[in-house]
Amino acid sequence: MIITKKCLSRRTALRGIGATIALPLLDGMVPALTALQRTAAKPVRRLGVVYAANGMVMDAWQPATEGPLEQLPPIQQPLAPFKDRMLILSGLDSKEADAKDTGVHARIQAAWLTGVRPKRTEGPDIRLGVSMDQIAAREFGKETQLASIELAMEPTDLVGACLPGYSCAYNNTVAWRDATTPLPMEFDPRAVFERLFGTTRSTSPRDRLRYIQKRRSILDDVTEQVHDLQRGIGSGDRAKLGQYLEAIRDVERRLDRAEAQADQELPDVERPAGIPATFDEHARLLFDLAVLAFQADLTRVFTFALGRELSIRTFPEIGVNDSHHPLSHHQNDPEKLAKLTKLQTFQMTAFASFLEKLHAIPDGDGTLLDHSLFLYGAGMSNSNLHYMYDLPTLVVAGREFGIRGGRHLVYGDTPLANLHLTLLDKLGLQIERFGDSNGRLELLADV
Amino acid sequence: MRNLLQIFILFCLVTTVANESNAQVTPENIVATHGSGLSATRSFIDSYCVSCHNGRLKTAGLVLDKLDLKHVTGEAELWEKVLRKLRTRMMPPAGRPRPNADTLANVVTSLESVIDRAAISLPDPGRPAVHRLNRFEYSNAIRDLLALEVDGRSLLPADDAGYGFDNIADVLSVSPGLMERYLAAAEKIARLAIGDLAIGTTAETYKLPYLSLLQEDRMSDDLPAGSQGGTAIRHYFPLDGNYLIKIRLQTEPQFSKVRGLDHPQQIDLRIDGERVKLFAMEAQAADNYMMKTEQVRADNGLEVRIPIKAGPRVVAVTFLRQKWYMESLGPERLPATSFGFASGTRSDERHGKQLMGVDTLTIEGPFNPQAPKDTPSRQRIFVCHPNTQGQESGCAEQILVALARRAYRRPLHNGDVTRLMRSFNAGRVNGDFETGIQQALETILVSPEFLFRIERDPSGALPGTVHDLTDLELASRLSFFLWSSIPDDQLLAIAAEGSLRNAKTLEQQVQRMLQDPKSKAFIQNFFDQWLWLRNLATARPDQKIFPEFDESLRRAFATETQLFLENQFHNDRGLLELLTADYTFVNEKLARHYRMPHVYGSHFRQVHYPGDQRKGLLGHGSILTVTSYPNRTSPVVRGKWLLETLLGAPPPAPPPNVPPFPENEGQIQQRSVRERMEQHRKNPACAGCHAQLDPLGFALENFNGIGEWRNTDANMPVDASGVLPGGEKFDDPAQFRSMLLSYRSAFVSNVVQKLLTYALGRGVEYYDMPAVRQIVRETERQNHSWSSIILAIVRSVPFQMRKVPVL
Repeated sequence: MIITKKCLSRRTALRGIGATIALPLLDGMVPALTALQRTAAKPVRRLGVVYAANGMVMDAWQPATEGPLEQLPPIQQPLAPFKDRMLILSGLDSKEADAKDTGVHARIQAAWLTGVRPKRTEGPDIRLGVSMDQIAAREFGKETQLASIELAMEPTDLVGACLPGYSCAYNNTVAWRDATTPLPMEFDPRAVFERLFGTTRSTSPRDRLRYIQKRRSILDDVTEQVHDLQRGIGSGDRAKLGQYLEAIRDVERRLDRAEAQADQELPDVERPAGIPATFDEHARLLFDLAVLAFQADLTRVFTFALGRELSIRTFPEIGVNDSHHPLSHHQNDPEKLAKLTKLQTFQMTAFASFLEKLHAIPDGDGTLLDHSLFLYGAGMSNSNLHYMYDLPTLVVAGREFGIRGGRHLVYGDTPLANLHLTLLDKLGLQIERFGDSNGRLELLADV
Repeated sequence: MRNLLQIFILFCLVTTVANESNAQVTPENIVATHGSGLSATRSFIDSYCVSCHNGRLKTAGLVLDKLDLKHVTGEAELWEKVLRKLRTRMMPPAGRPRPNADTLANVVTSLESVIDRAAISLPDPGRPAVHRLNRFEYSNAIRDLLALEVDGRSLLPADDAGYGFDNIADVLSVSPGLMERYLAAAEKIARLAIGDLAIGTTAETYKLPYLSLLQEDRMSDDLPAGSQGGTAIRHYFPLDGNYLIKIRLQTEPQFSKVRGLDHPQQIDLRIDGERVKLFAMEAQAADNYMMKTEQVRADNGLEVRIPIKAGPRVVAVTFLRQKWYMESLGPERLPATSFGFASGTRSDERHGKQLMGVDTLTIEGPFNPQAPKDTPSRQRIFVCHPNTQGQESGCAEQILVALARRAYRRPLHNGDVTRLMRSFNAGRVNGDFETGIQQALETILVSPEFLFRIERDPSGALPGTVHDLTDLELASRLSFFLWSSIPDDQLLAIAAEGSLRNAKTLEQQVQRMLQDPKSKAFIQNFFDQWLWLRNLATARPDQKIFPEFDESLRRAFATETQLFLENQFHNDRGLLELLTADYTFVNEKLARHYRMPHVYGSHFRQVHYPGDQRKGLLGHGSILTVTSYPNRTSPVVRGKWLLETLLGAPPPAPPPNVPPFPENEGQIQQRSVRERMEQHRKNPACAGCHAQLDPLGFALENFNGIGEWRNTDANMPVDASGVLPGGEKFDDPAQFRSMLLSYRSAFVSNVVQKLLTYALGRGVEYYDMPAVRQIVRETERQNHSWSSIILAIVRSVPFQMRKVPVL
């Protein structure tokens, strides 16, 4: 990603007031973006969800004692600068993933953000539940061009890698628009870029307006065509075309918003060339795009799967040449646990540097981080046993949310969905129940 | 055949109306003629099945003791499950009394014929849902519509797969995110096809694999003979104009110095085979431990700015050979994956000079662009050019009708034309004639009639009845099956005039389509998914254990299997040859891997296997690698692959909380995979299924995790003995392969089912099984040759017909 010369002078200006930050890939782009003014009295709230696959080394994750965080456990070490904003939560369970049945990895990934047990099927009749992020996306998406973006580190079109008895859909995403609509996760940074910024290179308001009008005219034509088609086809087929119409309407709604924002200044950023080779570069680039999306207010919700369940990725750049999933069955072998810890810490480092970037970007009365809420975790604790209780769960909350950080909270026999419900509360989205929730979490905003 | 079918359809309509139910009809006369088979079947079930599958034990939820064999057709779904277990000899299980082969075959045949006869009188073709084009189909359709090659993988997100394939109608859904991508793709494609000046300057970077691909031989057929290393890429230059082409060279990781500066080099840059520039690079003194800028950025000047005409072109960059060795007879090189290669800046006699390598090739442009006059796409689109404004609308209509007819796969009606012209006019207002065409083209590309394959029921058709597809619907099914794309003009014309259903015409068309290079799409999409070959691209064998696995080997694996399958297909070989072929396709790299002598050079050729270690697909490195873990073989995965992809008998899934597999690492005494596996199987929870899986997977233990032959594993002789599902014991791969052939009927039936799944874009259901058996029977005489099977599928009830859903 390369930045046009246009913003160099502004960068120089900013450096003067001490706002430059380490942005290896977005280097120089920040100034162009900070021009975005927020005039709304109510600050914008954002949500990011990060999923780490194949469980966690709990000894290196869980603090020994409840209460204030003194020393951070090894895996969270990279988050040291954000200690006072983070909560480590223990004793939360994903019971819906538990079943005396096969396909445990599919259930683990599916239930994590939904609190719902996936319907066992390899066919098209998949059924799960809406994921937590999508409840936020439904609401926040009313004000942005994209309701949410879904990012992943691995391609999701592998065959033969899905679990027997369970559709690949359960293993390919953590984001579900509703019970039957899994949202595909994108791993190619260029595709993410184009989703955010469209195909037009010019970001001048005039060009963007013309572009919006053209799109609208095309969609009008197509909508008319669908209405014609729907006469005289079976009801099942009508439903499918209905899905297509719904998609068109959604795009039109976003065009309306784009039109309203067309005079807003957008960064002049070159699109990424392709998929970086190493985990680190790739993850950072995707995180950078998430920074951009937040900064330009293109979306306020993202999910990011750092791996998918059963991932067999290796991490040669940190000397972990073992494949992730086999390694996660560590048999308590100290050497394997050490490698796994290294890998999980490495993933956390990418997340930490993302937080750093957000924290360096002014937003309203604070920084982007101040107005963002993050959930980071995995669907299993002990991967050796496929244990879906006492999950590794981490919340990083901006000041906006009134959460008192720097603590390790221990619950017991409590659904993870209670946390989802409580986080939605914090985002200002009050709902009755979520997944298998049976209440709300106490203590998050403790005195 | 056709008339017969019509009579049956008529019969079906009548009975359906009379009975008010479609699947439950059991013509008594069919059962009666099979009276004797009936009692034999009963006693077979009583002796071999009911000791477990009875009302008390209900093993696997299956109760066979009370079932009335007079109602087999009414219970077809259940019986098809039973038949599948019997045909693949998964039942009765090992350790239980088993029937002899003849008895088994008789019972299977008698049950099948009862079901099949009922299906003749009451065919149930099922009903695929409205079908969205997947991204491969989409990019092929663009190629055929606009003479424009685009990469669907970068334009559109991955499609969900079902039943092992990514063209399944039911799972190809539409989301707002996808809609965005379709709109963006349509916009980009329309711009490229027309050559819109608004495309602007872009930089496209192509990166070569580093530390995994040795750039030594001639790397591609698009590079000059005798060239060394580098790459050749197909790039689409969107406009006439100046383009900047930049070459970056590989650097060694420690000091980031350009590799291969120890001797002079010449770098050859060509476009469409014509030399654009020859860069000469001076040798620089090898000073290994100093970081010198001129060595770090020695590739700074490797760029050229030249005018290039719009269109697809091959850009090639390669090194001129310093010395003329016969290809591959040069000095021995360190493997690209080795530490020595990664760290070495020094060259020595034994390993030859250090290799220079291309890291990236960037094409930036166009600068000072001009609208292109003549590209393949423009020739395809602009069938006329208006000279005056008065001619514009007539010409626009001519252009758009031709495009939309192909895109929608049908003749257009007035409403279509009106809409297209409205689209044209909306664009025309903002620019010129071409702007109008561009906007209308964009609209066509997001139209539901382009993106979806929609089949209609005849008006007034009653729920539950079946009917023939229209010729146009059939034409689309054919072209998406064999080409993964839209019908061409010939096929469309034949369908439009209504003569596609003529048996002879249909066969001619199928044969023509199979001969067409576009059928490569079928070979790639079907086989890659069926055989899990798509996973080869992301397989990551552990470099410590398999240092010889690099990009060239990965590519060689893929090419071998691709050439082999194309050969099978184009020479119309029988299905069984997939397993029995005593030949394959190798280049030197692969031949060394397989230890075959006397194969030199980077090009592939057909060779016979010297011994009987390898035969057919089961000897291919591609398949042996995708069925292994990065660091070792997996008899479980291989067993699963054999059962699922070859025999169509997927094993049950593992239970939750499986105890881990003992790895060898860090142990003083190394143990073979088999030893560790045996220990693993002592656990009774595992033994049940692994008793089926592992013994089968062990058959390939002589091949390591990247398909090399081995006689020992962890210093122990490899024991490749095992047992097939039916209890047949084997000692080595050769014996295993010949025994596998006794499962011929299960194998053939399975391949037909996979093909039918792919052809229909839906899962094969129990009611399709009569058609599957019909296809198997029909092609027996042609030895199940590829064309005979494909033709039989095209003629089959589920391919030709469709059922109106029961409300």
